[in-house]
Amino acid sequence: MILLQSPSRYLLQILYNRVQSLEKGVELDSQWVEFDDIRYHIQGSVKNPNVLLLSVSLPIPPPETVLFGGLPLGALEAIKAAYGAVAQILDPPRDGFNLTLKLNLSKLPPDEEQKHALLTKIASVREVVMGAPLRAVLKQLVTRTVPSDLGKPVALVHRPNESFFLVPQADKVTVIFPMRFNDSIDTVLATSFLQEFVEARRTAGLNNAPPCLWSPSPPQELTEAFTEALSANAGFVSFVIFSRHVEGRKLDRTVWNLSTFHAYVNYHVKCSECFMHTRMRRQVESLIQALDRAKPDPEKAKKNSPNRSFKRMTLKDGNNSLGSRSWK
Amino acid sequence: MANPLRLYLTCIRNTLEAAMCLQNFPCQEVERHNKPEVELKTSPELLLNPVTICRNEAEKCLIETSINSLRISLKVKQSDELENILTKKFLRFLSMRAEAFQVLRRKPVQGYDISFLITNYHCEDMQKQKLIDFIVQFMEDIDKEISELKLSVNTRGRLVATEFLKQFI
Repeated sequence: MILLQSPSRYLLQILYNRVQSLEKGVELDSQWVEFDDIRYHIQGSVKNPNVLLLSVSLPIPPPETVLFGGLPLGALEAIKAAYGAVAQILDPPRDGFNLTLKLNLSKLPPDEEQKHALLTKIASVREVVMGAPLRAVLKQLVTRTVPSDLGKPVALVHRPNESFFLVPQADKVTVIFPMRFNDSIDTVLATSFLQEFVEARRTAGLNNAPPCLWSPSPPQELTEAFTEALSANAGFVSFVIFSRHVEGRKLDRTVWNLSTFHAYVNYHVKCSECFMHTRMRRQVESLIQALDRAKPDPEKAKKNSPNRSFKRMTLKDGNNSLGSRSWK
Repeated sequence: MANPLRLYLTCIRNTLEAAMCLQNFPCQEVERHNKPEVELKTSPELLLNPVTICRNEAEKCLIETSINSLRISLKVKQSDELENILTKKFLRFLSMRAEAFQVLRRKPVQGYDISFLITNYHCEDMQKQKLIDFIVQFMEDIDKEISELKLSVNTRGRLVATEFLKQFI
């Protein structure tokens, strides 16, 4: 799995199981956390097996982002548009969560394929909610409506206390990610990964991909707007999105990829570290074997024994307790 | 293999061959103790002159000898930040497994990346020639491993980036 998938696998599984065994509805109450600190809670009862309560909590927003009632701009409209009659937004949401949806499974379309598509869409609720403002900005590229606040950067939350920035312009949108990592090793690996993004963009096959830039200092567009958000230990990445990147069905994919860019890089940094550990373990084994080759066969060792210097009086102990062990 | 590296390793091998003539020697201060003199450095008459073999500023090897023990410290080349991190990570990984290596020192000598401590007991336990082979192979392997790790990070980075950018086409 190189790319991150937008439907939450676990949620999708729960929904499937529920739909398949509606008659023998069971008590359901489950909580879990996904990357970037998104928490889910799902609840269902025996009495009313068609109704599920799905709550989502979003990462804590940094001060520079603007939220409406705890949700990103346009999230409510996006939910209504995506789910229609199946989901109903409850106000206020469940305690400790930003959004609670009341899913009515009896209103799912009867056609298997459509049902499948809608369940997958419900499982991708984070894409719908978190991606809503990004989608709104990118849509302006398609419809060629000139945004009112031209060139003014917009901050969008994507991780706890961290945001990324959009700079909408007439024919393009620049997306800027300040990359922060907790660990010094992660930072170095991520920096080399990010430079590869710039390199990869230059190859022939990717001429149509969004131009990608990496720089250790914040880009000009941001310097005036958000001074406190501009500390990033792995530099800044910016993608320039043109209307050809958001045409038709590409919009969904672009929104998802951009809103999980940091998670994507982080995931591969961790994979890379994991791979390194496997290699190192193997290397240690081969080195130990090389050292073992230095030890003579036990039979030969017996013949050589008169040359040994002993720490103890008995020959047996002398072979086993080499006093220098503690000196490594 | 690059010729300069071969020369460097041959030089280390010859020095080790000359230096590794260790004998049992009980401690002079405390009765019934037997300690590696190169670590304690209590009696100057038991120590030999340390030898430093340098390939360049970043890559060198310090060989300290005493009557009953020998200490080899290596500094591995680190040309950029990524190599530095990989070396640190790999050598730390090895040092943590020093118990399994017997001749590996838990902590490197100040200013070096990794150290070995060979006592006369090791020399009796293992064949001297093979022990030297091991040290030389160890140095070769570390260099090779680190450059391969670096390559793998870069290859993965490229693949990850290409896959991501392909999504937009």
